[in-house]
Amino acid sequence: MNLTGELAGLLAEVTGHPELAALPPAAPLFGGEAGLDSLSGARLLRQVHERYGVDVAAEDLNLDALQSLGALAAFIADRR
Amino acid sequence: MIKCVVWDIDNTLLDGVYLESAGQPPPADPALTAVLRELSGRGILHALASRNPPEAADYVQAATGAQFAAARCGWDSKAESVRAIAAELDLATDTLAFVDDDMIERAEVAAALPEVLVLTPEDAGQAPQWPDFSPPVLTAEGRRRAGMYAARQRRQAEAAAFGGSREDFLRHAGTRITIGRAGTADIPRLHELSVRTRQLNSGAAALSEDDLAALVSSPAYLVPAVSLRDDYGDDGIVGVAALARNGAGSWPVPVLMMSCRALGRGVLEALLGWLSRTAAAAGATGLTVPCLITDRNVPLRLALAAAGLRAAPGSAAAGERAEFSRSLTGPLPPVPDWLTGWDGTS
Repeated sequence: MNLTGELAGLLAEVTGHPELAALPPAAPLFGGEAGLDSLSGARLLRQVHERYGVDVAAEDLNLDALQSLGALAAFIADRR
Repeated sequence: MIKCVVWDIDNTLLDGVYLESAGQPPPADPALTAVLRELSGRGILHALASRNPPEAADYVQAATGAQFAAARCGWDSKAESVRAIAAELDLATDTLAFVDDDMIERAEVAAALPEVLVLTPEDAGQAPQWPDFSPPVLTAEGRRRAGMYAARQRRQAEAAAFGGSREDFLRHAGTRITIGRAGTADIPRLHELSVRTRQLNSGAAALSEDDLAALVSSPAYLVPAVSLRDDYGDDGIVGVAALARNGAGSWPVPVLMMSCRALGRGVLEALLGWLSRTAAAAGATGLTVPCLITDRNVPLRLALAAAGLRAAPGSAAAGERAEFSRSLTGPLPPVPDWLTGWDGTS
Protein backbone atom coordinates (compact mmCIF):
# COMPACT_ATOMS: atom_id res chain seq x y z
CA MET A 1 0.00 0.00 0.00
CA ASN A 2 1.30 3.49 -0.74
CA LEU A 3 2.12 5.96 2.03
CA THR A 4 -0.99 8.12 1.52
CA GLY A 5 -3.16 5.02 1.78
CA GLU A 6 -1.42 3.91 4.98
CA LEU A 7 -1.95 7.38 6.46
CA ALA A 8 -5.65 7.26 5.55
CA GLY A 9 -5.83 3.99 7.48
CA LEU A 10 -4.17 5.64 10.50
CA LEU A 11 -6.61 8.56 10.25
CA ALA A 12 -9.57 6.16 10.27
CA GLU A 13 -8.07 4.46 13.32
CA VAL A 14 -7.39 7.60 15.41
CA THR A 15 -10.76 9.19 14.62
CA GLY A 16 -12.76 5.97 14.94
CA HIS A 17 -14.35 6.68 11.55
CA PRO A 18 -13.59 3.79 9.16
CA GLU A 19 -14.98 5.70 6.16
CA LEU A 20 -12.00 8.12 6.39
CA ALA A 21 -9.76 5.32 5.06
CA ALA A 22 -11.12 6.43 1.66
CA LEU A 23 -10.44 10.18 2.18
CA PRO A 24 -8.96 11.72 -1.00
CA PRO A 25 -5.28 12.77 -0.62
CA ALA A 26 -6.05 16.46 -1.26
CA ALA A 27 -9.02 16.76 1.14
CA PRO A 28 -8.43 19.14 4.09
CA LEU A 29 -7.84 17.43 7.44
CA PHE A 30 -8.96 20.35 9.62
CA GLY A 31 -12.64 21.09 9.28
CA GLY A 32 -14.55 19.48 6.45
CA GLU A 33 -15.23 15.78 6.29
CA ALA A 34 -12.14 14.65 8.21
CA GLY A 35 -12.80 16.99 11.16
CA LEU A 36 -9.35 16.49 12.70
CA ASP A 37 -9.23 18.07 16.17
CA SER A 38 -6.66 18.53 18.89
CA LEU A 39 -7.22 15.03 20.26
CA SER A 40 -7.33 12.99 17.05
CA GLY A 41 -4.56 15.18 15.58
CA ALA A 42 -2.25 14.48 18.53
CA ARG A 43 -2.99 10.76 18.21
CA LEU A 44 -2.23 10.85 14.48
CA LEU A 45 1.09 12.63 15.08
CA ARG A 46 2.02 10.10 17.78
CA GLN A 47 1.28 7.20 15.39
CA VAL A 48 3.27 8.84 12.60
CA HIS A 49 6.22 9.34 14.95
CA GLU A 50 6.12 5.70 16.12
CA ARG A 51 5.62 4.19 12.71
CA TYR A 52 7.82 6.37 10.46
CA GLY A 53 10.21 7.96 12.94
CA VAL A 54 9.20 11.46 11.79
CA ASP A 55 8.37 13.94 14.57
CA VAL A 56 6.14 16.38 12.67
CA ALA A 57 5.40 18.51 15.76
CA ALA A 58 9.12 19.09 16.38
CA GLU A 59 9.91 20.04 12.79
CA ASP A 60 6.83 21.88 11.60
CA LEU A 61 5.88 24.82 13.86
CA ASN A 62 2.59 25.51 12.06
CA LEU A 63 1.75 21.84 11.45
CA ASP A 64 1.28 22.61 7.75
CA ALA A 65 1.99 18.93 7.11
CA LEU A 66 -1.51 18.25 8.42
CA GLN A 67 -3.23 20.23 5.68
CA SER A 68 -4.04 17.01 3.84
CA LEU A 69 -2.99 13.36 3.71
CA GLY A 70 -1.00 14.17 0.57
CA ALA A 71 0.91 16.95 2.38
CA LEU A 72 1.61 14.64 5.31
CA ALA A 73 2.84 11.86 3.01
CA ALA A 74 5.16 14.29 1.21
CA PHE A 75 6.50 15.60 4.55
CA ILE A 76 7.26 12.05 5.72
CA ALA A 77 8.73 10.92 2.39
CA ASP A 78 11.13 13.91 2.39
CA ARG A 79 12.54 12.83 5.73
CA ARG A 80 12.92 9.09 5.24
CA MET B 1 2.00 16.13 40.46
CA ILE B 2 0.28 12.75 40.36
CA LYS B 3 -3.14 12.71 38.65
CA CYS B 4 -3.78 8.95 38.55
CA VAL B 5 -2.52 5.92 40.49
CA VAL B 6 -2.41 2.60 38.62
CA TRP B 7 -2.80 -0.29 41.06
CA ASP B 8 -1.96 -3.97 40.84
CA ILE B 9 -4.59 -6.27 42.38
CA ASP B 10 -3.00 -9.48 43.81
CA ASN B 11 -1.21 -8.90 47.13
CA THR B 12 -1.57 -5.15 46.57
CA LEU B 13 -5.17 -3.95 46.76
CA LEU B 14 -6.25 -7.44 47.86
CA ASP B 15 -4.78 -9.30 50.83
CA GLY B 16 -4.05 -12.36 48.74
CA VAL B 17 -4.36 -13.69 45.19
CA TYR B 18 -7.73 -13.35 43.45
CA LEU B 19 -7.61 -16.63 41.52
CA GLU B 20 -6.04 -18.79 44.21
CA SER B 21 -8.96 -18.47 46.56
CA ALA B 22 -11.58 -21.16 46.23
CA GLY B 23 -14.99 -19.51 46.34
CA GLN B 24 -14.62 -16.17 48.11
CA PRO B 25 -11.76 -13.96 46.84
CA PRO B 26 -9.50 -12.38 49.47
CA PRO B 27 -10.61 -9.16 51.21
CA ALA B 28 -9.37 -5.68 50.31
CA ASP B 29 -6.26 -4.42 52.08
CA PRO B 30 -7.63 -2.02 54.72
CA ALA B 31 -4.66 0.39 54.74
CA LEU B 32 -4.66 0.81 50.95
CA THR B 33 -8.46 1.06 50.88
CA ALA B 34 -8.06 4.10 53.15
CA VAL B 35 -5.40 5.50 50.79
CA LEU B 36 -7.75 5.03 47.81
CA ARG B 37 -10.46 6.99 49.59
CA GLU B 38 -8.10 9.75 50.79
CA LEU B 39 -6.59 10.29 47.32
CA SER B 40 -10.02 10.24 45.63
CA GLY B 41 -11.04 13.03 47.98
CA ARG B 42 -8.08 15.02 46.65
CA GLY B 43 -9.23 14.60 43.06
CA ILE B 44 -6.63 11.91 42.20
CA LEU B 45 -7.92 9.13 39.93
CA HIS B 46 -7.39 5.40 40.32
CA ALA B 47 -6.92 2.70 37.69
CA LEU B 48 -6.21 -1.05 37.71
CA ALA B 49 -3.52 -3.03 35.85
CA SER B 50 -3.71 -6.74 36.52
CA ARG B 51 -3.16 -10.14 34.93
CA ASN B 52 -6.45 -11.30 36.42
CA PRO B 53 -9.62 -11.80 34.37
CA PRO B 54 -11.74 -8.64 33.92
CA GLU B 55 -14.26 -9.68 36.61
CA ALA B 56 -11.48 -9.15 39.18
CA ALA B 57 -11.77 -5.40 38.51
CA ASP B 58 -15.49 -5.48 39.40
CA TYR B 59 -14.68 -7.41 42.55
CA VAL B 60 -11.98 -4.92 43.62
CA GLN B 61 -14.32 -2.00 42.94
CA ALA B 62 -16.97 -3.59 45.18
CA ALA B 63 -14.48 -4.68 47.88
CA THR B 64 -12.76 -1.28 48.17
CA GLY B 65 -15.74 0.95 47.38
CA ALA B 66 -13.42 3.00 45.13
CA GLN B 67 -14.14 4.18 41.59
CA PHE B 68 -11.61 3.12 38.95
CA ALA B 69 -11.43 5.36 35.90
CA ALA B 70 -9.80 2.65 33.77
CA ALA B 71 -8.93 -1.04 34.14
CA ARG B 72 -6.56 -3.21 32.10
CA CYS B 73 -6.87 -6.89 32.91
CA GLY B 74 -5.06 -9.41 30.75
CA TRP B 75 -1.68 -10.62 29.64
CA ASP B 76 -0.18 -7.36 28.40
CA SER B 77 3.00 -6.25 30.14
CA LYS B 78 2.34 -3.85 33.00
CA ALA B 79 4.22 -1.12 31.13
CA GLU B 80 1.89 -1.65 28.17
CA SER B 81 -1.13 -1.47 30.50
CA VAL B 82 0.12 1.75 32.13
CA ARG B 83 0.71 3.28 28.69
CA ALA B 84 -2.78 2.25 27.55
CA ILE B 85 -4.39 3.69 30.68
CA ALA B 86 -2.58 7.01 30.14
CA ALA B 87 -3.80 7.09 26.53
CA GLU B 88 -7.36 6.17 27.51
CA LEU B 89 -7.52 8.93 30.12
CA ASP B 90 -5.55 11.41 27.98
CA LEU B 91 -3.05 11.89 30.79
CA ALA B 92 0.69 12.30 30.28
CA THR B 93 2.61 9.32 31.70
CA ASP B 94 4.65 11.58 34.02
CA THR B 95 1.45 12.30 35.99
CA LEU B 96 0.99 8.59 36.80
CA ALA B 97 2.09 6.47 39.75
CA PHE B 98 2.23 2.66 39.58
CA VAL B 99 1.90 0.41 42.64
CA ASP B 100 2.77 -3.30 42.58
CA ASP B 101 4.07 -5.79 45.17
CA ASP B 102 6.06 -7.64 42.48
CA MET B 103 9.62 -6.36 42.12
CA ILE B 104 9.91 -7.61 38.54
CA GLU B 105 6.74 -5.80 37.45
CA ARG B 106 7.99 -2.60 39.12
CA ALA B 107 11.37 -2.93 37.41
CA GLU B 108 9.72 -3.49 34.03
CA VAL B 109 7.54 -0.37 34.34
CA ALA B 110 10.44 1.71 35.68
CA ALA B 111 12.64 0.67 32.75
CA ALA B 112 10.02 1.21 30.04
CA LEU B 113 8.49 4.38 31.52
CA PRO B 114 11.12 6.09 33.68
CA GLU B 115 8.82 9.12 34.11
CA VAL B 116 6.22 7.04 36.01
CA LEU B 117 6.49 7.09 39.81
CA VAL B 118 6.87 3.40 40.76
CA LEU B 119 5.96 2.39 44.31
CA THR B 120 5.72 -0.67 46.54
CA PRO B 121 2.40 -1.11 48.41
CA GLU B 122 4.25 -0.04 51.59
CA ASP B 123 5.39 3.19 49.87
CA ALA B 124 1.85 3.78 48.64
CA GLY B 125 0.64 3.62 52.24
CA GLN B 126 2.71 6.76 52.89
CA ALA B 127 1.77 8.52 49.66
CA PRO B 128 -0.91 10.81 51.15
CA GLN B 129 1.86 12.53 53.11
CA TRP B 130 3.95 13.31 50.03
CA PRO B 131 3.80 16.60 48.10
CA ASP B 132 3.31 14.78 44.76
CA PHE B 133 -0.03 13.52 46.08
CA SER B 134 -1.06 16.81 47.70
CA PRO B 135 -2.60 19.19 45.17
CA PRO B 136 -2.06 22.80 46.25
CA VAL B 137 -5.70 23.66 45.63
CA LEU B 138 -8.77 21.50 45.56
CA THR B 139 -12.04 22.79 44.24
CA ALA B 140 -15.53 21.40 43.82
CA GLU B 141 -14.53 20.40 40.26
CA GLY B 142 -11.48 18.62 41.66
CA ARG B 143 -13.46 16.61 44.20
CA ARG B 144 -15.94 15.51 41.53
CA ARG B 145 -13.20 14.37 39.18
CA ALA B 146 -13.70 10.60 39.64
CA GLY B 147 -17.41 10.95 38.82
CA MET B 148 -16.55 13.02 35.73
CA TYR B 149 -14.24 10.26 34.48
CA ALA B 150 -17.04 7.71 35.01
CA ALA B 151 -19.28 9.94 32.86
CA ARG B 152 -16.47 10.13 30.35
CA GLN B 153 -16.27 6.32 30.07
CA ARG B 154 -19.99 6.20 29.25
CA ARG B 155 -19.59 9.07 26.74
CA GLN B 156 -16.64 7.41 24.99
CA ALA B 157 -18.41 4.04 24.78
CA GLU B 158 -21.43 5.68 23.15
CA ALA B 159 -19.26 7.81 20.86
CA ALA B 160 -17.47 4.68 19.62
CA ALA B 161 -20.82 3.03 18.81
CA PHE B 162 -22.29 6.21 17.28
CA GLY B 163 -22.47 6.19 13.51
CA GLY B 164 -22.34 9.89 12.59
CA SER B 165 -19.63 12.52 12.55
CA ARG B 166 -17.96 14.03 15.60
CA GLU B 167 -20.19 17.11 15.29
CA ASP B 168 -23.26 14.89 15.15
CA PHE B 169 -22.17 13.12 18.32
CA LEU B 170 -21.50 16.38 20.20
CA ARG B 171 -25.01 17.52 19.26
CA HIS B 172 -26.52 14.11 20.12
CA ALA B 173 -24.80 14.22 23.55
CA GLY B 174 -26.46 17.55 24.33
CA THR B 175 -23.11 19.35 24.58
CA ARG B 176 -23.40 22.83 26.13
CA ILE B 177 -20.43 25.20 26.22
CA THR B 178 -21.00 28.35 28.26
CA ILE B 179 -18.60 31.28 28.17
CA GLY B 180 -18.99 33.61 31.11
CA ARG B 181 -17.03 36.48 32.51
CA ALA B 182 -14.57 35.06 35.11
CA GLY B 183 -15.27 36.48 38.55
CA THR B 184 -13.58 36.47 41.94
CA ALA B 185 -15.40 33.29 42.97
CA ASP B 186 -13.85 31.40 40.03
CA ILE B 187 -10.25 32.21 40.97
CA PRO B 188 -9.47 29.03 42.99
CA ARG B 189 -10.70 26.85 40.10
CA LEU B 190 -8.77 28.90 37.51
CA HIS B 191 -5.63 28.60 39.64
CA GLU B 192 -6.15 24.84 39.89
CA LEU B 193 -6.47 24.65 36.08
CA SER B 194 -3.25 26.58 35.61
CA VAL B 195 -1.43 24.19 37.96
CA ARG B 196 -2.78 21.02 36.34
CA THR B 197 -3.11 21.59 32.63
CA ARG B 198 -0.13 21.18 30.27
CA GLN B 199 -1.48 19.64 27.06
CA LEU B 200 -3.77 22.57 26.30
CA ASN B 201 -1.81 25.45 27.80
CA SER B 202 -0.06 28.23 25.91
CA GLY B 203 2.16 29.16 28.87
CA ALA B 204 4.44 27.23 31.16
CA ALA B 205 4.27 28.76 34.61
CA ALA B 206 1.20 28.36 36.81
CA LEU B 207 -0.73 31.56 37.49
CA SER B 208 -1.05 32.46 41.15
CA GLU B 209 -4.39 33.48 42.65
CA ASP B 210 -3.01 37.04 42.80
CA ASP B 211 -2.09 36.97 39.08
CA LEU B 212 -5.60 35.78 38.27
CA ALA B 213 -7.27 38.32 40.56
CA ALA B 214 -5.33 41.09 38.81
CA LEU B 215 -6.40 39.83 35.37
CA VAL B 216 -10.05 39.40 36.33
CA SER B 217 -10.32 42.91 37.77
CA SER B 218 -8.31 44.70 35.06
CA PRO B 219 -10.28 46.78 32.54
CA ALA B 220 -7.52 46.03 30.02
CA TYR B 221 -8.53 42.36 29.72
CA LEU B 222 -11.57 40.26 28.92
CA VAL B 223 -11.30 37.03 30.91
CA PRO B 224 -13.73 34.37 29.67
CA ALA B 225 -14.25 31.26 31.83
CA VAL B 226 -15.48 28.26 29.86
CA SER B 227 -17.91 25.72 31.34
CA LEU B 228 -18.79 22.40 29.75
CA ARG B 229 -21.61 19.94 30.29
CA ASP B 230 -23.61 17.40 28.36
CA ASP B 231 -26.16 14.65 29.03
CA TYR B 232 -23.43 12.44 30.51
CA GLY B 233 -22.15 14.88 33.09
CA ASP B 234 -21.24 18.38 34.16
CA ASP B 235 -17.53 19.18 33.99
CA GLY B 236 -17.86 22.67 35.45
CA ILE B 237 -15.22 25.23 34.46
CA VAL B 238 -12.76 23.59 32.05
CA GLY B 239 -10.95 26.55 30.53
CA VAL B 240 -9.94 30.18 30.72
CA ALA B 241 -8.34 32.78 28.49
CA ALA B 242 -7.32 36.42 28.75
CA LEU B 243 -7.91 38.70 25.78
CA ALA B 244 -6.08 42.04 25.94
CA ARG B 245 -7.97 45.01 24.49
CA ASN B 246 -5.80 46.67 21.86
CA GLY B 247 -7.95 49.13 19.93
CA ALA B 248 -7.91 48.55 16.20
CA GLY B 249 -4.71 46.47 16.32
CA SER B 250 -4.19 42.75 16.83
CA TRP B 251 -5.50 41.63 20.24
CA PRO B 252 -3.09 39.44 22.24
CA VAL B 253 -4.23 36.35 24.18
CA PRO B 254 -1.58 36.04 26.94
CA VAL B 255 -3.48 33.25 28.75
CA LEU B 256 -5.10 30.25 27.06
CA MET B 257 -5.65 26.97 28.89
CA MET B 258 -8.12 24.11 28.92
CA SER B 259 -8.51 20.96 30.99
CA CYS B 260 -7.54 17.76 29.19
CA ARG B 261 -11.03 16.46 30.06
CA ALA B 262 -12.30 18.80 27.33
CA LEU B 263 -10.05 17.22 24.68
CA GLY B 264 -11.96 15.89 21.70
CA ARG B 265 -15.13 17.78 22.59
CA GLY B 266 -14.59 20.85 20.44
CA VAL B 267 -14.23 23.24 23.38
CA LEU B 268 -10.87 24.83 22.64
CA GLU B 269 -11.91 25.22 19.00
CA ALA B 270 -15.12 26.92 20.18
CA LEU B 271 -13.20 29.23 22.52
CA LEU B 272 -10.82 30.30 19.74
CA GLY B 273 -13.85 31.03 17.56
CA TRP B 274 -15.44 33.09 20.34
CA LEU B 275 -12.19 35.02 21.01
CA SER B 276 -11.85 35.83 17.30
CA ARG B 277 -15.46 36.97 16.95
CA THR B 278 -15.47 38.97 20.19
CA ALA B 279 -12.24 40.77 19.31
CA ALA B 280 -13.41 41.42 15.74
CA ALA B 281 -16.74 42.82 16.97
CA ALA B 282 -14.80 45.27 19.17
CA GLY B 283 -12.76 46.47 16.19
CA ALA B 284 -9.67 44.25 16.41
CA THR B 285 -8.00 43.47 13.09
CA GLY B 286 -6.12 40.41 14.33
CA LEU B 287 -5.66 37.86 17.11
CA THR B 288 -2.25 36.88 18.50
CA VAL B 289 -1.56 33.93 20.79
CA PRO B 290 1.97 33.71 22.21
CA CYS B 291 2.59 30.02 22.80
CA LEU B 292 5.48 28.22 24.41
CA ILE B 293 6.59 25.33 22.17
CA THR B 294 6.79 22.11 24.20
CA ASP B 295 6.45 18.43 23.42
CA ARG B 296 3.46 18.38 25.77
CA ASN B 297 1.21 21.04 24.28
CA VAL B 298 1.02 19.74 20.70
CA PRO B 299 -2.80 19.42 21.09
CA LEU B 300 -2.95 23.19 21.66
CA ARG B 301 -0.91 23.87 18.52
CA LEU B 302 -3.30 21.63 16.59
CA ALA B 303 -6.25 23.74 17.75
CA LEU B 304 -4.37 26.95 16.82
CA ALA B 305 -3.65 25.55 13.36
CA ALA B 306 -7.28 24.46 12.93
CA ALA B 307 -8.41 28.00 13.83
CA GLY B 308 -6.10 29.46 11.18
CA LEU B 309 -3.42 30.92 13.48
CA ARG B 310 0.13 30.79 12.15
CA ALA B 311 3.61 31.67 13.37
CA ALA B 312 6.58 32.69 11.24
CA PRO B 313 8.05 29.31 10.16
CA GLY B 314 11.16 28.45 12.15
CA SER B 315 10.64 31.40 14.52
CA ALA B 316 10.76 29.25 17.67
CA ALA B 317 12.32 25.96 18.73
CA ALA B 318 11.30 23.71 21.62
CA GLY B 319 11.30 25.67 24.88
CA GLU B 320 10.86 29.00 23.08
CA ARG B 321 7.79 31.13 22.56
CA ALA B 322 6.19 31.58 19.14
CA GLU B 323 3.60 34.21 18.22
CA PHE B 324 0.67 32.58 16.45
CA SER B 325 -1.63 35.07 14.79
CA ARG B 326 -4.40 35.48 12.25
CA SER B 327 -6.28 38.29 10.59
CA LEU B 328 -9.80 39.05 11.75
CA THR B 329 -10.78 41.03 8.67
CA GLY B 330 -11.87 38.09 6.49
CA PRO B 331 -14.04 35.07 7.33
CA LEU B 332 -13.79 34.14 11.03
CA PRO B 333 -13.37 30.70 12.60
CA PRO B 334 -16.73 29.10 13.42
CA VAL B 335 -18.44 28.76 16.79
CA PRO B 336 -20.81 25.81 17.28
CA ASP B 337 -24.49 26.57 17.83
CA TRP B 338 -24.34 24.89 21.28
CA LEU B 339 -22.07 27.63 22.60
CA THR B 340 -23.65 30.31 24.76
CA GLY B 341 -21.38 33.31 24.83
CA TRP B 342 -21.06 36.41 26.90
CA ASP B 343 -20.85 39.32 24.52
CA GLY B 344 -17.74 40.68 26.21
CA THR B 345 -19.03 44.22 26.37
CA SER B 346 -20.58 44.16 29.84
